[in-house]
Amino acid sequence: MKRTLFASVALLALTSGAHAQAQLSFPPGESDFNWDSYDAFAESHDLTGQSVSITGPWTGLDAENVEAVLAYFTEATGVEVNYSGSDSFEQDIVISARAGSAPNVAVFPQPGLASDLASQGMLSPLPEGSADWMQENYAAGQSWVDLGTYADADGNDQYFGFFYKVDVKSLVWYSQSAFDEAGYDIPETMEELKELTQEIVDDGGTPWCIGLGSGAATGWPATDWVEDMMLRTAEPAVYDQWVTNEIPFDDPAVVAAIEEFGWFAKNDDFVQGGTRSVPTLDFRDSPNGLFAIPPECYMHRQAQFVQTFFPENNDANFFYFPAYEEADLGTPVLGAGTLWAITDHNDAADALIEFLQTPIAHEIWMARSGFLTPLKSVNTDLYANQTLKDLGDVLLNATTFRFDASDLMPSEIGAGAFWTGMVDYVTGVPAEEVAADIQARWESIR
Amino acid sequence: MDNMAGQKTSLSIVTNLSVILLVILWLIPTVGLLVSSFRSNEQISASGWWASMFPVEEAIRISPEPEGVTRDGEMFVLSGNLFGEGSGTVSGFGIASTDPGAAEPGQVYARFNVDVTEPDGEVDNARVEVAYDAEAQATIPTEDEDGNPVVAGTAMLDRSLQVARNGDFTYVSDSEITRAPSVYITTMQPPQFSLQNYQTIMASDNMDRAFINTLTVTIPATIIPILIAAFAAYALAWMDFAGRGFLIAMVVGLLVVPLQLALVPLLQLHNRVGIGQSFLGIWLAHTGFGLPLAVYLLRNYMVGLPRDIIESAKVDGATDFQVFTKIVLPLSFPALASFAIFQFLWTWNDLLIAKVFLPSNSESWVMTVKIADDLLGSRGGDWGILAAAAFISIAVPLVVFFAMQKYLVRGLLAGSVK
Amino acid sequence: MSPMLQGIITIFVGVGGCIAYFYGSNLILDRVIFPPRNDDHGRNINRATLVRPWLFLFPAIFALGLYLVYPVVGSFVRSLYNRSGNTFIGLGNYTQMFSEEGFRTALFNNILWALVVPAGATFLGLLAAQLTDKLRWGNIAKSLIFMPMAISFVGASLIWKFVYANDPDIGIINAVRDTIGMGPVDPLQIPFWNNFFLMIILIWIQTGFAMVILSAALRGIPEETIEAAIIDGANPFQIFFKIKVPQIMGTIVVVWTTITILVLKVFDIVYAMTGGNFDTEILPSYMMDYMFRDDGRATAVAFVIMIIVLPVMVWNIRQARREMR
Repeated sequence: MKRTLFASVALLALTSGAHAQAQLSFPPGESDFNWDSYDAFAESHDLTGQSVSITGPWTGLDAENVEAVLAYFTEATGVEVNYSGSDSFEQDIVISARAGSAPNVAVFPQPGLASDLASQGMLSPLPEGSADWMQENYAAGQSWVDLGTYADADGNDQYFGFFYKVDVKSLVWYSQSAFDEAGYDIPETMEELKELTQEIVDDGGTPWCIGLGSGAATGWPATDWVEDMMLRTAEPAVYDQWVTNEIPFDDPAVVAAIEEFGWFAKNDDFVQGGTRSVPTLDFRDSPNGLFAIPPECYMHRQAQFVQTFFPENNDANFFYFPAYEEADLGTPVLGAGTLWAITDHNDAADALIEFLQTPIAHEIWMARSGFLTPLKSVNTDLYANQTLKDLGDVLLNATTFRFDASDLMPSEIGAGAFWTGMVDYVTGVPAEEVAADIQARWESIR
Repeated sequence: MDNMAGQKTSLSIVTNLSVILLVILWLIPTVGLLVSSFRSNEQISASGWWASMFPVEEAIRISPEPEGVTRDGEMFVLSGNLFGEGSGTVSGFGIASTDPGAAEPGQVYARFNVDVTEPDGEVDNARVEVAYDAEAQATIPTEDEDGNPVVAGTAMLDRSLQVARNGDFTYVSDSEITRAPSVYITTMQPPQFSLQNYQTIMASDNMDRAFINTLTVTIPATIIPILIAAFAAYALAWMDFAGRGFLIAMVVGLLVVPLQLALVPLLQLHNRVGIGQSFLGIWLAHTGFGLPLAVYLLRNYMVGLPRDIIESAKVDGATDFQVFTKIVLPLSFPALASFAIFQFLWTWNDLLIAKVFLPSNSESWVMTVKIADDLLGSRGGDWGILAAAAFISIAVPLVVFFAMQKYLVRGLLAGSVK
Repeated sequence: MSPMLQGIITIFVGVGGCIAYFYGSNLILDRVIFPPRNDDHGRNINRATLVRPWLFLFPAIFALGLYLVYPVVGSFVRSLYNRSGNTFIGLGNYTQMFSEEGFRTALFNNILWALVVPAGATFLGLLAAQLTDKLRWGNIAKSLIFMPMAISFVGASLIWKFVYANDPDIGIINAVRDTIGMGPVDPLQIPFWNNFFLMIILIWIQTGFAMVILSAALRGIPEETIEAAIIDGANPFQIFFKIKVPQIMGTIVVVWTTITILVLKVFDIVYAMTGGNFDTEILPSYMMDYMFRDDGRATAVAFVIMIIVLPVMVWNIRQARREMR
C-alpha cells in the first residue's frame, strides 16, 4: 500500500514537472539568485524569432532540469530552444554531424568525442573571450580551458568546449542505518578503508557491491576505480602522462593501480556474489544491495549520479573515497563534466554560450537537484540539499582535481579496450597482460 | 486393425505431449517477462517471477515517529502500532537490519550492555541480545558473541522491543528517544501485481506521438517494398530476358549486405537531394533494405507455381501484366502475407534505421527509440519498466500475426490447381 | 496529427504511385509505343516482350542499386583506406585485422553461429511444423512458438536475462540449480559454451519463422502421395523422412539460407547480453566497435562477413540457375 502510494506520488511529481517546464521554475526577483546577471543578460540580448536546437545526453529528470534552465534563456532573449536528449547521444551526434544535419549546439559527456569532431572540422570555436572568462571565473579555470581546447581540422588549437555541470566520482555510498547499527566509522584514509573492509568480513558481512555490467559498455565502472586508484598511488603528473600515453598503458604505475582495484574486486569475500558476479551485475542494480534487509553489502564506490538508481525511501549517505595516508598525495578528486560545443553556428548559439556564463544559468539547476559547478560567483546556499552541498565540499577540498581518464583517451581505448580489458582482468587475466593488450591497441590506432 | 488404431492413439498422445513440451519450453522466457512486467522493481529483485504467485516473506524497516514517549523509571518508552493507519501481520521482528526476524511476535527482544572477561583477563564492555517471552524474565547468556564469559550481574538494559502479531509495539530505551528508532519486521507479503509499469510508460510524454510515428513508418514501409518486389519477382521467375541470371545472383548477393555499412553514405545522399532526415527518407530506406529478401522469397515461391496455368493463360492471349495481376498475384497470396508479416515485424522493431533516418528530436521518435533512448536512459535499472515496454511494443505485431496467420497456414497450393 | 495524416497520404500516394506506374507503363507500352496492330503486329509484340521485364524490374533495380549496391561499392573502396580515410593502404586493414586475436575469435565464433543457429532453428522449426500439423490445437501451438518473432532483439535479450541471470532470485537456471543444491553459475561466463547460450536466444526467435514457412510447405504436399505411402505400409517416420522431407527440400534450403543470412547481420544479442566480453564477440558486434571510429576497419569487417556467406550465395545462385533450365 505504502509503496504504491509513494510510486504514484513520484509519478505525479514527474508528470507535473513535465507540464511546468514551460514556465520559469523560480520567479525572477525572488530569493537569493543572482538576478542582476539575468537582467543584464536579458537587456543586452534580443534575438526574438531566432531558434537554437540542442542535443545532449540527458533524459528524464535531467532533461527537465536543463529545459528549466533553458526556459530562462528563452525568456531573456526570445530565442526558441529545442532540446532533445538521447541515451545514445554519442552515436547520434556522429551520425548527424557526418550527414550535415547537426543541431546548433551539442552537449558532450566526453571531451574525447568533442575533440574527434573538432579535428574533423565539425565544431565551431566558441565566441572570442570565452576562454579568458573561464580562466577567471571557474575554480581551477585553466584546467577547464585545457580540457575544452582541441586542434581544429587544420591542426590549430582552438577553444571549443564550455564546461557546465560537473560530476564528482571519488565517492563511496553507504546506508546510514546499516553503518550506525553495525557501529562502523567513516574511514579517513585508504588504510582505514581497507581495515574496515576486513572488519566487515570478520563480522560476517560483505563489504562491497561492485557491478560492471552495462550492456555494450560493460566494464566502464572499473575504469573509474582504476583512475581513482591511480590518483592515490601515483603523482598527478604520472596520471596526465598516462592519459596522453606518454607512459605506456602497461607502465608499472598503471598495473599497480589496476591491482589496487583488484584488491577489492578480486576477493570473493569482499564483493557481493563473489568476484564471479562482478562482470555481469548491472551497474544500475549494483547499489541495491546497500539497502537490502539484511544488507547484502555495505559500501559502493560510484559517482554522484548513482543516486538516481537508489530505491525510493533510501537512507543513503556518502563519504570521500579516501587517499593513502602513507602516499601523501593530498586529497585527489576524480571527476567529469559535460561540455557544450557549437556544432552548427548561428547567433543564438553564441548567445546561449554567453548565457551559460551568467551565474543564474548555474543557480537554477543547483536549486533543482543533481548539479555541481566550479563557477565561483554562484550562491552556494542555493544547492537543493545538504548532500549536494557536501558534494560541493568534496570538490572544494580537493588538492588535485583530475578529469576521468577514460573520457580523455581516444574512444577506441577509453570507450573500448579499457572497458573490455577490465572485464578480462576481473575474470582472471593478469593485470600486466591486460595492460599490455590495451597498449598494443593504442599503438595500432596511431 | 485394432493394433493399428492403438498405435495411432499412442502416436497421437506422444505428438500431443511433445508439442506441449515444446510450447512450454518456448513460453517460459516470455511468461517470465510478462509476469515481471506487472511487478515492481523491488519485487523483481526480491524473488523470482516463478515465485510471484506465492506470498513472500519480506523484511522491512519501519521508523515510528517518537511521539508520546513516556517515562518508566530510568527508561523511556514508546508504544503504538507499526502499521500506523494500515494493517498487516508481523511474522518476526528485530532491532538490526542484519537480523530483521530475530524474535517471534509476542516475544521481547532486548539488548543488554554487559561486562565480559577477555582471554587476557581484562574486563571489557560488550553487548548481548536475547529474545524471551513477554511473561518471562530475560535470561542473560553466559558468553558473548566472541565466546568471552559474561560477568554475572552486570547486565544493564540498553533497549528492548516487543511487537505483537498485529503490529502493536513497545520500544524501551535507556536514553531519551528523540529520533525515530529503526525497527525491523518480517511480514508475509501477499502476491502483488499492478499496472504501474504500464501506466508509467503510457503516461510518459509523447508516448502517443511515438505510437503514431511508428505506425506512420511501418505501414508504408511494409506495403511499398512488397509491391515493387512482387513485380520484380514475377519478372525474374517467369519472364525471359538477357541478364536474368545475373540479376538473380545480385539479389541473393545483396541479401547479406550488413546494412550498417549503408547508413552513413545514404544519409549523406538524402541530405544532398533534399530529403534529409524525414519520414520519406525512412520509407525509402526500409524499402531498399527490405527488397532483397522480398524479391528472393517471392521469386522462390512464384517459380514453384504450376507452369501449365501460366502458359495456358498466355496461349489464351493474356499479356504478362494480366497474367501477373489476375493469376500470379492471387496465387502468391500466402507468400505475400508471410513476407508482409516479416517486413512489418522488422520495421516495427527496428531501432537502428529509425535512429539514423529520422530526426533525433522528440517529435519524430518512434516507440523503439522512445523506449531505448529516453525511457531506458533515465530508468536503466528498472526491469519492471523494461518488461512492460517490451510487451507494449510486441502487442501490435502479435495482433497482426494472429489476424494474418490463417493466410499463412492456409497452405501454398492446396486446392488451387488440381 | 500531421504525421499521421502525412502517413495516410503517403500510403495512398506511394501505393497508388506504384500501381499507377506498373499499370500505366504497361498500358503505354502496349497501346502507344508498340501497339500490336497493322503490319507490325508480330514484331511489336516481340519488342514489347523484350522491354516489359525491365518495366517490371525497374523500381526494384533502382532501389537496390541506390540503397545497397552504391553503399557496398563505396564501402569496399573505403575499406582500402586508413582510419582517417585519406591514405590508400591497400589490404592493410585486412592484414592488420587477421593478425589480431580478438578478430580471429570473432571470426571463429561467427562461423559457429552461422552453422549452429540455422541448423537448430530449421530442425526445430521442421519438428514443430510436422508435430502441430494434424493437431487440433495446432494453430494455437504455432502462434505461441511464433511469438518470439514479434519481440525485438533488445526485448529478447531482456527476456533471457531472466533465464541466465546470476542471481537465483532472478535467473531461472540458477534458481533451479539453487533448489537442487548446486552453486550458482553464470552461463554467460562459461568459456566456449557461453556462445551456445547466446545462440539459443536466436534459435528461440527464428524457429517460429522456420516453422511458419515449412508448415505451409508441408501442407502443399499432395495428399495422394502420402496416401499412397500409407497404403504401401510406410510408418509415420518413414513418411516424414522419406516422402515429406525430400518434397519440401527446396523450401528447407530457402529457410536455411535466410536464417544464415540473418545470423550474419545480428549484432544486438551479443551487444546487449555480453557486450562482446568473455570471448563471445562475433563479427557484426566487432564491427560496431569500429563503426564511426575507424570506418576503414569497420568496412573491412563487413567484407569479411560477405566472404563468409559467399559459399551459401554461390550455392544459391547455382540452384537458381538449375531451376531455370
